[in-house]
Order: sequence, then C-alpha cells, then structure tokens
Amino acid sequence: MSQTRAVTAVQPKRTWTSISGGTVRVSDVLRVVVLVGGALACLVPLLWMFLGSFKTPTELAQRPPTFLPESWLPTNYVEALSRFNFLQYLSNSVIVTVVATALTLVINAMAAYALAKYNFRGKTLLFLLTLATIMIPLQVILIPVYQVVASLGLVNTLWGMIIPAAATPTGVFLLRQYMLSIPDELIEAARVDGSGEFRTFAQIVIPLCMPALAVVAIFSVMWRWSDFLWPLVVAQSESVYTLPVALARFNAELTVPFNLILAMGVVSTIPVLVIFLFFQRQIATGIANTGIK
Amino acid sequence: MTTTTITTARPPLTRWTGGGWGMKLAPYLFLIPNMVIFAMFTIYPALNGFNMSLYESNNGRTFRWVGLDNYRKILTDAEFWDVVRNTVIYAVAFVVLGTLVALATAALVNAQRRGKTFFRAVFFIPVLVSPVVVGLIWNWMLERQNGLVNTALGWFGIPAVPWLVDDTWAMVAIILVGIWMQMGFYMLILLAGLQAIDPALYEAARMDGANWWQQFRVITVPLLQPSIVVVVVLATIHGFQSFDFIWTLTGGGPVGATTLMVQYIYENGFQSPIRYGIATAGGVLLFLTVFTLTLVNWLISRRREAV
Repeated sequence: MSQTRAVTAVQPKRTWTSISGGTVRVSDVLRVVVLVGGALACLVPLLWMFLGSFKTPTELAQRPPTFLPESWLPTNYVEALSRFNFLQYLSNSVIVTVVATALTLVINAMAAYALAKYNFRGKTLLFLLTLATIMIPLQVILIPVYQVVASLGLVNTLWGMIIPAAATPTGVFLLRQYMLSIPDELIEAARVDGSGEFRTFAQIVIPLCMPALAVVAIFSVMWRWSDFLWPLVVAQSESVYTLPVALARFNAELTVPFNLILAMGVVSTIPVLVIFLFFQRQIATGIANTGIK
Repeated sequence: MTTTTITTARPPLTRWTGGGWGMKLAPYLFLIPNMVIFAMFTIYPALNGFNMSLYESNNGRTFRWVGLDNYRKILTDAEFWDVVRNTVIYAVAFVVLGTLVALATAALVNAQRRGKTFFRAVFFIPVLVSPVVVGLIWNWMLERQNGLVNTALGWFGIPAVPWLVDDTWAMVAIILVGIWMQMGFYMLILLAGLQAIDPALYEAARMDGANWWQQFRVITVPLLQPSIVVVVVLATIHGFQSFDFIWTLTGGGPVGATTLMVQYIYENGFQSPIRYGIATAGGVLLFLTVFTLTLVNWLISRRREAV
C-alpha cells in the first residue's frame, strides 16, 4: 500500500525540528502526494457521476469514455422528473428523514434525561439494556422486526419506515453523557421555583443540550436519508418508495437509461453534502466523542 | 422541599424524599416512549427471532412448527456455506484492511500542518453518499470495457481487469469499495485519538533519540488503542451486515460469489421462493456471530486496559 511506503520514507531524513518551516523535506512532499492521491480517489467517482449525469446514453457508451459532457443542459434531470414520480420519492425521503429525526430527538432526549438526572429503580438495568442493543442492528433481526411491523399493519407505510429504528441507542447514550455535565443545582433551582418536571426538562435542560442534540440530529438525517434495506423491505408499492429504494429498483430494470439514474443519484447526494459542508465541525466532534454511528 | 441542598453534583440527586408522586413517576414517564419502541422493535424481535426460527412458512403469514429442522436444512445447504465463506472473507478483509488504511490515513493527515481540515473533510465525503449510489457509481466505473477504472489502468499499459465478471475480482471489488465508502468514518475516530495524544511525549522520545518507528510503537499504538478498539468493533459490525452497496454493485454475483449473509436473509425472506424458516435461522446465526464477536472485542479491550 502506498501509504505505508510514504510513512517509512519519513525515517531516514531525521531533522527533528518539526515546527520550523523553511526547508522542504522529501517526506513532506511524499506525504502530500499520497494524501492528494487519496483525496482524488475519494472525489473522482463523485465528480464522474456528476459529469455523467449531463451525458447522453450515446456519450456514456463511448469507448474510451469522454471526460466532459457535450452539453451542460439539465436534460437528464428534466427527463427523470417527468418520467418517474421522482418528486414523490423525493418527498417520501424528506418526510421519512425529517419525521424520524424529530421523533428520535424527542424520545431519545427524554430517555437520556431520565437516565442522567434521576435515580430510580431499574435505572442501571435499563441503561445497560440500551447499550446492549447497539450490538443488535436491524439488519440482523430483519425478519422478526418485519413480523412486528406487519402485525401492526405498518407495511407499505412511511410510519413503518420511521418508527422501528427511531429509538437509537447511540442517541440516548450521547445525550445522556452530555446531560451529566449539566449541574444538578440548575434543575434543583427550577424545582424550587415551582417548575414541573416536564417544564424543567423542556425549558431548562433542552436549551442547554443544543450542541448534543445537533449532533444526534445531523447523524439521524444522514443515516435516514441513505437508509436502504429497511425501506426496501417496508416499501412494497411505488407510492412509498424513498429515493434509494427507487434508485435501486430502477437500476435493476434494464429499460431505465443509466443517464437518468445518474441524475437521480446526484439529486440524492447533494442534500447530504450540503449538510456536511455546514455542520462539518459538529460531525467531526460527534464522531470523536462517541465513535458511534 | 426538604433535601434541596444536595451536595454532590454527580452521581445525580440521590433521593428526593419530599418529591411526591410527580417526581417518582417522572423518570418512568420520560423513558416510556423510547423504551416502548425499543421493546417492540428491538428486544422483542431479537428474542422472538429464536422462536420464529423453529417455524417454517412460505408466505410469512401461516407458520408451521418444525423444531430444529430449519437449522438442519440451513447447515446442510451448500449455498449457505458459500455465503458464510463470502461473509467471513469480506468481513475479515474489510476489518483488517479498513482499519490499516484508516490508521495510515489518519497518521498522514495528522502529520500535515496545512490543509488538515481539508483532507479530513475530503476523506469523509464518501461516507455521506448513499450506499445505493455508491454501488451504482462503482458498478459503472468498474465496467470491463469502457469503465473509468480499466480505462485509467490502460493508460499505464495494464490490461483490463474483469472486476465484476470474475468471482475473485468481484470479491476484491466489494472489499475495496466497502473500504472506500467507510474508511473516512474510521479515520475521523482515529484522527481524534491521535490529536488527543500529548505532543510532549513525542518531544521527549525524540530527545531520547527514538526513531519514527519506535515512537509509533511505544507512544502512538498504546495510547491510540481505545480508538483502535472502537474502530475494530464498529468495522466488525459494519462488515458482517454489509448489504446495500453490494446490492447495486454486484447484486451478489457473479453467480453468488459476492452474496453475503444479509442478502441471503433478505432473499430468502422476501423474494420468491420465500423460505422464511431459512431466513430467520440465518438471522439468528448472524445475530449470534455479531453479538459474540463484539462482546469478545470489548472484553479483550477491557482486559488490556486493566493491565
């Protein structure tokens, strides 16, 4: 692997005055070369998809492939819109993402508050149980969960996609850790002032938890937006397809031209990229603090 | 309220004797929504999976008790063992290579003085792309005749690689794409771990004449170990449950060469001919595997920490 080679190359040149600038070392150059190579490997496929989404089927079939599209007109996007219920899938995706995230935030924050700031019977057990479920991803219990959803009549509904994974153990864990740092005196003071338990939670604790809530929200949005297996199982008719489900289904049908698929792929990628650009720092700290998706 | 002057800030408020019903009930009320969903959609299904695996059904509605017959069937099913082999090969390669690549990348980014934030962001971008889209793009890029990858290899005189056509190359492809997609996430965890290490330690080591490798072995690895454990645990869970990008990348092919466990469960459970018993039995086996591996990982890390 090229990375290892670059790392070992640091060894012979032993000028340990690392903070001093000025002289350019071979190891520095090598490192930058490797990093730029890696960065290109990350970006080129996405750039390629973007360029491809403007190409015609004939252009896409060319050998060797052409680099830039002949025209930058959004023909494929317009056609994808008119040919499929594209707006329907888009709105399904938005609804599932937004409602699921809102639900997750509310119930996770409430549970986290109980686990962080109260003493009650069964607290440790409930907390450990919550942690243990990190090890039970929905993929592994797909069929039994589907049975539950089916018996509740939620198959083929957006609620069926939203509810089952709403109680994320990681959200509870992250919020609880954050709430532990809120001084008890604050909550006490609110009680002395006659504030009810729920009001204290909603008006004192929640505003203080905004940074942690933001992290949970961002992760929930990113994950729900891309989620595939569960929506695939629940969505059996086209009217409830989310974008990833629609993309996979159409891709499997050979009749759908690939340039339209690419256009849909670009549309489904842009929102998460925008969110990332805005919330980069929160994402990085969120991952660093929990190490959990 | 009598006990308002509680002295300890943490662990939280010991007991409010004067609180009355509201305060005693409050934590339970706060917990109910989350725990109900947990119970219904995680804990009950996880337990019920064992029960369901003792029944057979070909439509998902009517069930017939068959005892351990599903397990007998699945364990004697040649296809199942192919899937197990694929899953283990994929997961092991993904965990080992993924962790190493992430570690190397994190070390390189961390050593960078300029553009650290830029590289960190760029390496994370593939994590954001929907796995379905990742599979689509790479399926297209790895196309044998005029895919971008083979075209690029051609510039260097390397003959076209049968990426998605040949069994072994298809496995290589899903491993590489899996790492491409997830590596940035692990890199962020490791990078945070690296940045938490006190630079003074390296300074001291250098004064003592330690070379790069010695510093890496004696300072970086031990201090980074908690982060590495987190990455290995997460990669294990991710690796064993990989499905979505493979679905659009290879579809599990050619001829089942890249069909992993979750796809096997999905196909048996939801695509005709439906073999519910096989699907649930497979689910139980996967569940036990992931659960055990994660637990072992944690236990090993705990023990190391204790020493």
